[in-house]
Formats: sequence, C-alpha cells, structure tokens
Amino acid sequence: MAIEWYLVLSALLFGIGFAGVMIRRNPVVILLCLELMLSAGALAFLAFSRMLGNQDAQVMVLIVLVVAACEVVVGLGLVVAMFRRRLPLNVDEMKELEG
Amino acid sequence: MSAATWAWLVLLFPLLGSLVIGFGFRVLSTRTAGLLGIGAVAVAFFCGIGALVAIQGEPSDSRYVASSLWEYAAVGNFKIDLGIYVDPLSVYMVMVVTGVSTLIHIYSYSYMKSDVGYHRFFSYLNFFVFSMLVLVLAGNFILLTVGWALVGFASYALISFWYRRQTATDAGMKAFVINVLGDVGLYLAAILIFSQLGSVDYETVFARAPEVFTTNEWTIVAICLLLMVGAFAKSAQMPLHTWLADAMEGPTPVSSLIHAATMVTAGVYLIARTHPLFDLAPTAADISALVGVITLLVAGTIAIAVTDLKRIIAYSTMSQIGYMIVGVSIGAYSAGLFHLMTHAFFKALLFMAAGSIIAAMANMQNIDRMKGFGKAMPFTAAMLVIGALALAAFPTTSGWFSKDEIIDYASFRGGIYGLMATAMLIGAFLTAIYSFRIVFRILPGPPCDEAQHLIDTGEVVHGKPVNPHTLEPEDTDVGYPGSEHHIAEQALGMKIGMSVLGFLALVGGVLQIPGVDEVVFNFLEPTFADSELSHIHPSTSESWLGLGKGAAISVAGLILVWFLYMKRPAIPPALVRRLPHVHALLVNKWYFDELYDFLIVNPVKGLGRFFNEFIESDLINGLTRGTVYLVRTAGAGVREIQTGLLRSYAVLMLFGVVAIGLYFLIRSI
Amino acid sequence: MLNSILWTPLIFGLIAMLVPKRLAPWTAGAGAVITLALAIAVLAGFDPDGGMQYVVDTEWISGLGIDYSLGIDGISVFLVLLTALAWVPAIAFTALRGVERPGLYYFMLAAGETATLGAFLAQDLILFVLFFDLMIVPFYFLFGIWGRDRDGVTVQSATLKMIVYTLIGSLLMLVGAIAVGVIAADGGPLTFSIAELTEKGLPNGSQNWIFWFFAAAFLVKMPAFPLHGWMPDSYRAAPVASLAVFSAVLSKVGAYGFLRVVLPIMPDATELFQTAMLVIALCSIIYGSFMAFTRFDLRLILGFSSVAQLGFITAGIFALNESGSEGAVLQMVNHGLVVVPAFLVVALIAERTGSEQLGPMGGLAKRAPVFAVIFLIVTMATLAIPASANFIGEFFILNGIWQTDVAIAVIASSGVVWAAFYALRMYQRTMHNPLPDDADSREISLRDALVVVPMVACVVVLAFSPQLIVHSSEPAVAENVVSVFDDAKAGTEGEYVASAGAGERADGGENHGSEAAGETGGNGEAGHGEASQ
Repeated sequence: MAIEWYLVLSALLFGIGFAGVMIRRNPVVILLCLELMLSAGALAFLAFSRMLGNQDAQVMVLIVLVVAACEVVVGLGLVVAMFRRRLPLNVDEMKELEG
Repeated sequence: MSAATWAWLVLLFPLLGSLVIGFGFRVLSTRTAGLLGIGAVAVAFFCGIGALVAIQGEPSDSRYVASSLWEYAAVGNFKIDLGIYVDPLSVYMVMVVTGVSTLIHIYSYSYMKSDVGYHRFFSYLNFFVFSMLVLVLAGNFILLTVGWALVGFASYALISFWYRRQTATDAGMKAFVINVLGDVGLYLAAILIFSQLGSVDYETVFARAPEVFTTNEWTIVAICLLLMVGAFAKSAQMPLHTWLADAMEGPTPVSSLIHAATMVTAGVYLIARTHPLFDLAPTAADISALVGVITLLVAGTIAIAVTDLKRIIAYSTMSQIGYMIVGVSIGAYSAGLFHLMTHAFFKALLFMAAGSIIAAMANMQNIDRMKGFGKAMPFTAAMLVIGALALAAFPTTSGWFSKDEIIDYASFRGGIYGLMATAMLIGAFLTAIYSFRIVFRILPGPPCDEAQHLIDTGEVVHGKPVNPHTLEPEDTDVGYPGSEHHIAEQALGMKIGMSVLGFLALVGGVLQIPGVDEVVFNFLEPTFADSELSHIHPSTSESWLGLGKGAAISVAGLILVWFLYMKRPAIPPALVRRLPHVHALLVNKWYFDELYDFLIVNPVKGLGRFFNEFIESDLINGLTRGTVYLVRTAGAGVREIQTGLLRSYAVLMLFGVVAIGLYFLIRSI
Repeated sequence: MLNSILWTPLIFGLIAMLVPKRLAPWTAGAGAVITLALAIAVLAGFDPDGGMQYVVDTEWISGLGIDYSLGIDGISVFLVLLTALAWVPAIAFTALRGVERPGLYYFMLAAGETATLGAFLAQDLILFVLFFDLMIVPFYFLFGIWGRDRDGVTVQSATLKMIVYTLIGSLLMLVGAIAVGVIAADGGPLTFSIAELTEKGLPNGSQNWIFWFFAAAFLVKMPAFPLHGWMPDSYRAAPVASLAVFSAVLSKVGAYGFLRVVLPIMPDATELFQTAMLVIALCSIIYGSFMAFTRFDLRLILGFSSVAQLGFITAGIFALNESGSEGAVLQMVNHGLVVVPAFLVVALIAERTGSEQLGPMGGLAKRAPVFAVIFLIVTMATLAIPASANFIGEFFILNGIWQTDVAIAVIASSGVVWAAFYALRMYQRTMHNPLPDDADSREISLRDALVVVPMVACVVVLAFSPQLIVHSSEPAVAENVVSVFDDAKAGTEGEYVASAGAGERADGGENHGSEAAGETGGNGEAGHGEASQ
C-alpha cells in the first residue's frame, strides 16, 4: 500500500482537528480537536517509519502520546478550574492577555 | 635653641590654644578661655623674640634656616615638605603678627565679654593667628598656599561669626570665594614654578630662578602675574577688592586684626618674599605697582564719601595697602614692610577706637548720627585722634616716616615711578582728608543722644538689638552680638590694648628715621641683599625733603577738613548737592559691585539656569525620555497582534509553521 | 587573605538574614568590622614596591581561560580600605535608626560590599566585569525596596532608569571584555588575566572601539556628563545610608576601571582619545559645579558635586602622567572619605528640619556647635581647601593636566572656585542664617557622633600627611602609568629638571618603557612610534 494514503488520512485528520479548534468555542471540544491533530502527527510519523524501515519515528510517537496525555491533564484541569469559578466555558471571552 | 625650633614653637602655641579652647568649650569658663587665647598668642610672641635673637646671632650672610618636620607629599620629583623657612623677613612678620594679635586678643577679652559665642571667637581667633604664622613661616609655595587658604577660612569664619545675620554670612561667602580665586592663582603659579624650576622650595626656586629665566621672559612674567592674583585677592587690591568692605560685618576686633593689621597685608608679604622672581619680571612688578597706585586713589576717594564708620576705615586700609604694594613692587622693600608694621599699629588702633564708639552707639555705625564723643569718651577720642594722625602721616607720627619713605623711593627712581610718586602724594592728601573727617565728624560738637546718655548716666545705651544695616530685629543669643556693649572707658582689656597700640602708633617711627637710625632696613637687609633694587637709596637730605612734602600735605589736609567741618559746615552738604553724580559714584564705591553683578554674577546665574532648564531637563532627560518613547511606540505597534483570542494565535502559529516549512521546501528544491 | 576580605561581608550578610531581626544589624556590623580589620591587616603587611600582592589565582572556567584571580597593589589597596571603612558607618547609621525587613536589608548591603571589593580585587577581566555588574544588583533592591518617592520621582522609575543606564554600559563592557580576550588570543588559548592581556597587547584598530565600550560603562558609573541622567532621580529616591556608600565607593570603581583596565590594556587608544576624555572630564567639572550651585536639594548638590569631583579624577587619570594619576588615586580616597559623612550629615539635617531642601532651613548651628563643626570640616574638605588632603589631590591633578595641556588645566582650575561656592552655599544655608521656627536645632547625639566622627577624623589625619597614601600608591601608579606613557613626555617637564636632579628617575622611566616595549613586541613598537611623533 502506498504511503500517500496514510499521509492523506493524516492531513485530513489534521485539517478536521484544526477546523475544530478554529470553529468551536468550548474548551473541551477544542481539547478533543487538539488530540485529533496530535494523532494526525503521530500517524504521519508511523507512516514514514514504515516507509524508511527504521524505528526512530516510533520513539517520537511515544513522546507525542505522553505529551498529549500531559496536555489533556493540564487542559482539563483548566476547564475544571474555570467551571468552579463559574466562568463561561467560552474561549472567546477569555482574552485578558490582550495587549 | 635654634631659630627654627623657636619658629616651630611660634606655630605650636596658637594651634594648641585654638584646639584647647575649641574642644573645651563646655568645660572652660569664658574667663579661662579668653586668658588661654591671650596666653597662647603672647607665648608665641615671646617665642618670636627668641627666634629674633637666635637669627640675629648668625652672621649676616647666612641669616636663614630651613627646617622640615616630615615629607608632606611627594610624587616623582615633585617633593613637598612640611617645612618652614626662617629669615629676617619671616621673623619680622612673626613679630608684627603675634605682637598686634596679642594686643587685639586682650582688647577682645573685654569687648566680646557678653557674646554667647565667646569660646568660638577665641578659638577661631587663635586659629587665625596660627594660619597667618603658617603663611609667613612657610618654606615652600605649597605650604604658603596652605597658610594662604587657612587665613581665608579663618577670615570667613570670623566675618560670619554672627552667623544668624544673613548680611554677615553673605559677606563671609563673598570674601571666601574671592579669596579662593586668589588661591587658584597661587596653585597655578606653584605649578608653573615647578614645571620650570623643578622645585617649590623657596631656597631652590630663588637660587635657580636667575639661572633659568632671562629678564622679562614670558614665563616668569606669567608666574608673577599669577602670584599677583593671589596677592591682590588677599590684599583687597583692584579689581578683587570688593569683599573687604563687606567683611566689616564681622566683629570689630576681627576687622582690626584680620582685615586691617595682618591678613590683608599678606599680599605685600608675598611680593616681598618672592622678590627674586619679581626682580626678574620688571613688567609684572610695574603692573603690580600700577594696580597699587590705582587702588590707593580709588579707595581714597570712596573713603571720603561713605558714611559707615567701619567701611571708611576699611577703604582706608585698601588705600594704605596700595602704598605697601607699590613699595614692595618698585623695590622699596623695607619701606613697604615698615609701612606694613606702622599701618598694623595705627589701623588696629583706629578699629579699636571705632569699636568702642560703635559700642557706645549700640552697634550703629553711621557717622551721620555720631556727634560729641570727644566729651563723652575722652580716652577713646584721644586714641582715635592718635590713629587718625598716624594714618594721615602727620609729622613725627609713625605713619609719617613709613609712608613718605615709599614716596621718596618712588620719586628717587624717577621716570614712571616719579609719576607714581605724584599720584601717591595726591593719595596722601585724600588720606589726610578722610582721616580727619572721621575725627571732626565724630568728636566735636553737641553730643548726640547716645553720647549725652553716656555723659549723664555713665552707662552705655542698650537699644533693642537690630541689624545695623537692615534694621531687622535680632536677639542676643548665640549667632548675634551679645546683650552688653563695652567701651574702652569701662573695660580694662580694651584700654590696655588701645594704649599700647596708641603709644606704638605715635612713636613707632623712631625705628626708621632717615640719617639717624635705620633699624628696619638693617634688620631686613640680609633677606633683600640679593636684589639690586634694594641698594637704591635716596640720600638723607632727599629723604628729609620728602618728609617735609608729606608733612605739608598732611597739615594742609588737616586745615582743609577743619575749615570744611568746623568753620563752614554748610559746604560739604552743598558740595554733595552740587555734584550729585560724583557723590553717587563715590558712595556706590564706583559701582564695582554692580559691574561684577553684570559681568560675572548674572552671566553665571544665567548659565546655571541654562544648564538646569535646557541641558539637564531637555537634553539629558530627553535622552532617557526619547529612549522610553522609542520603546513605547515600537511596543504599541506589536501590541496590536496581541488580541488575546486563542484562535487568532492558532492561525498565526499555523501560518508561521507553514511559512517555515515552505522556506525549507523551497530551499531544498 | 583576600579571599576572606572578599567573602566575609557576604557570609555575615547571609547569617544576618537567618538570625532573629534584633541581631541582624549586629551580625552585619560585625562582618563589616572584621572586613575592616582584615583590610587594615593587609595594609600593614603591604609593601609599596612589591607590585601585585596577596595574589590568589585559581582556574575557574578553564575552557574559556577565565581565572578566579585576586590581587592587591598600590592603586587598589586604599580603595579596598576605603570600601571596608565606608560600610561600617553606613551599617551603624541604619542600625541606630532601624529599618523594615532588617535581615534582607543588611544582606543586600553586605552583598554590595562583597561585590565592590570584588571589583577592586579582581585581576581577571571577566571576574572584574562580573563583580562590576553584580554591584548594581543589591543597590537596585536597596533603592527599590527601602527608597522613598520624593519630589514627584517614583522609586520604580528612578531605579529602572539607574539599572537601564548601568546595564547598557555593563553589556557594552562585557562585549568589550570578551573582544579583548578573543582578539588578544589571536587564535591561541584564551586568557583574561589583566596582566597577561597587558603584555599581549591589542592591535590598534580594535583598541579604538573597545576603548569606548569600556569607557561607556565607567563613565555611566561615575557618573560623568553627559551620562549622568540616572543620577538625580536615584539619589533622590535612595535610602541615605546606602546612598552614602554608593556615592562614596561605587563611583570610584568607574575611575578605578580606567586605571586598572583601560590604560594598561589599551594604551594606544588611550593616547588617541586623551583629549576627548579630558574634554569630557572638563565638561563634568564645569557642568557638575554649575548644577551643584543652582540646585536646592542637598542630595543633588552632593550628587552633582560628585560629578565635578569625578571629573577632576578622570582628568587626572587622562593626564597620563604620574602626577595626574597619583593625584587621581589620592583624590578617589579623599572624596570617598568626605562623601560618606556628608550624606550622613544630610540625613541628620533632614531629621532636624524635616526637609532636604535648602530653602526652608538655616541656623542649625545655634544649639549644635559640634554638629556644625563636623559639617564645617566636611564642607572644607569638599571644597578642597589647602591643608586638606583633597587639596593635594587636586593640586597633583592640576599639575598633571598642566603638563599635558595648559589651557585645560587653567579651565579646570576654575572648578576649584565653583567648588568653594557650592560647598559653602550648602553649609551656610543649613547651619547659618536665621533659624526658622519649625526647625529643631539639636546637637548631634553621642551615638551618631561615634558613627560620623571616625571618617571625619580620617579626613583630618590625612590633611596632616597625604604622604601616607601617596607613599604606598606611588610605585604602583608609576608602574601602571608612567612606564607606559610618561617617557614620551619627559621632555616637557622643563630643561632644569631634565638636566639636574631628575636624571636618575627619567632614566629609570626609559628603561621601564623599553622593557615594556620589548615584551609587548611589535605592538609596543608601534605605540612608541606614534608617541614619538
């Protein structure tokens, strides 16, 4: 099977994830979409690993997975904190860092 | 003991006195403090006699000793010792300074009795004597500068002795700053001397100078001109004279000691001391003589017009120092120094008498209000008359012998000096006029209120304490004059000081009578032996002819003043009315203060404002503000991107990543 | 020995932070006193002709050729002593008054002492730069935390200004220092030892730009016109005791840097820019004096008077002869000795009148004769009255400049007159003149007197014998300056000197010069060629 299909799938996943990040305002959904984008990256790595026949890229995938897990922990923690303070779960309204 | 040891002792005692009185101000009673002060200076005087005897014991061609305590500072071949130089000239000055100081200390003991700052006064006064002795005994130009500046400091401290009077502190500051200007002249002179001669010790400098310099070479003229800046600032010669009249804000004994008898004559001493240099620079010496002549004339005219008793005497001091400066500049060294001594006698006496009268007037100094003190205060009046006679060079008084000797010498040298002699004769006439003006304005006539009060009750008037110039109310605590006023008739100390000086002012002339004895000349001869000018000597008959001229002028002045103030008292006011501009010019001291305000003070202030308002706030702060502005503006541009919207950041990031990716992609193709 | 001098204050400062608040001043004070004792011991064992002494030299970052190398010679020995001396009254003065968060305060003060001592002791260029930059850090906090908003100047803006100015200078210097090392190594092994760098020398072209990188840092620190923009605000905001040491000692590090680093390592550039530096110094003298006598804030008067005095010192250094440099070394010590009591007196005045402005005060001498005399001595030393050691310093400086350029010497000497004016104005308007009703003329307390008087006593003692300092520092100055610059100018000292007396010394100088030339190789010869033209 040609590598192109994997890459196309990866690109599609990435596109969907990115579109989600752009369109949705709920931080939980945005986190979901981010996971999607990370998985897309991981998929591309795996495809290249298979194509080149070495295992380096698989190490990267493991790292990506770990990072993704951490990111979800922090992100969900933030969401819980926002929820507790009864802040609206809407990323557009949280722009205190505006310059 | 050697002369050097005596000289060190001379220095030691006034310093000790100053320190003991200064540190013991809480412990010592006022009486003890005063006696300590007098004692310290008196002991110094006796040590001075010791030095005198010791140095006279040497053969006349080696009558000098240089002695050094320790190395003061030495860099490379620039070596400065803490050293003194004892020769007839310095011993002569030591005798004059300590002698007159002792008498003035005794006078002050009574005069300042009720002043709250009594300890401070005597501590400063002793310190002044110490500094003055450092000045005259110094063995090199650096130590000379040290003494020079320390007397300036003592003068400042004593002018602003009544330090809560703003007029006094301002006067002190003016005196100090002008004197520092003179100090700078000395610094530069010392530097130039070192760069040319490789030493600042008197001995080496004077020995090498004739080898290195040719006559009137520009360097030696520059050195002498710089020395003259120092001399003129200290001796209140034009154009650096404006501080002296204001210095009269100090207590009267201070005016008497510092601003008449000793410190202000330091310039004369300096020129006499550096005569080997001035002999090599006749141009500078002539300029110096010319300045002396101009000063003596200008100061004389001012003294005729002003009405503040102490200021009249102050201008007279300037004028008399003018004579001395002319004397030592044209080569009449011993005559100039002799006049220095007699002037110390009679001018100190005049100030003391004036102090007594001012005390009787409850610190008022305007002679317009003084009348009839001849009857009220006979002793003071007698002393005032003696002082005035000597000042006016009345025949047989000390001033007659000393002043006319300078004039004789000048006319004997002829040429331009003959012209100077004529000018000095005119000056002598002015001197006679203002001296007798003081006498005839104050002593005769119906007593004024204060004098009448003194005659009636035998007590001095005690008015409300006020500043005599601004009439601002004062109290009598420390920083202002004390509550009591003391006059010579009722205070033993004042009487002693004045009568001794009165005696000296009358008969001091016997030291130097042409053809009879020439004590001063012979004593100073070893110091000036190397100068050709000092060997020029008018003959005895010429000297007596000069003395006759001087006597005639003095008597003429006496008669004129007597006529104006006793016979026709209407004339002087009429003169003032007829010549308002001349009178205004003289009363305003030829507008020198105004001129300096215009030429120096205001431009300096303006420059200060310019620095403050333009450079500091616009340029220096502008540098900082400009940087801040630059950073802010740049920041404002970038800030627009910081929207705080998560999604815009994400887009930007994507674009960034894509851009980087494209860049590598394109490069790899 | 030098290690213990250097680190004692910091260690005691750390302890001060840990002990109970009550003991903090005692701990810091003990540290300062021990440091002072050590510094005195160093001076006692100091041999004026011994060159660099008490040397500590350990490899630190070997890959970069950076050594931890300390040493003391005639130029730095009195500055070290001054530093150790100045910190004692500063700590004592604060201890008598108390301070918020004492542990931190004394730690910062002590850290400042260690950094300053380090700058004076360092014999490695990078170490010097490091300590030079570290100095500002504790003072940033001292000024920032314990400072006060005054006259519309906020502490934040003042300290920010100070740190930005200083850091720009410091960064330029860091670049310069690295460049010196790299260029001097010329592909070989790196070294930053000042002595070795002096020997190796730098090519002419690079000296010229590196010179200004160093000069920027030093001129800001002094401060010199026109780089003094940070000074007025910081001086107004700072707490007075730390300001006293800051003004007395830290400003000297700048001048010291010229003597220690710039002159030996960049002799050709120094000679090239001599006139420019003299003009900067002259501007500082005139500008500082004028500002000092138009300002009313006592701190600013002292600050601007420091600008003028440091101008004199810079001028002395850049006279590039023995007299000028020796005068500068002497004057650094004198000025430091005078400034500490001056600032403490200002604080005492402020306690009595509630103000540091000249306008609404006066007559304080009325009930306080001792206080007035102390201030009078300080004033007179500030205006360098002859008989004070300051006079000898200024005199040697003027003498040095005179040998270089008569016109500049004459203009600079006017600074003496201006100094008389601003110093006396300050004294007169505080101690003299009518006493306002709300001012409290109170005698100095015994405890305060014990803090202030020792420094004043040093001033008085030095007045009797400036030779104490001159004697010990002269050989080092001669080695650092004369051997490099003076032989070219020997001719200007006057025929008489050259022909008589000074023959020996002149010969010695020449020998020195030729040795140095031999050692520095080609570069030294180039320098000589230029000098003889």
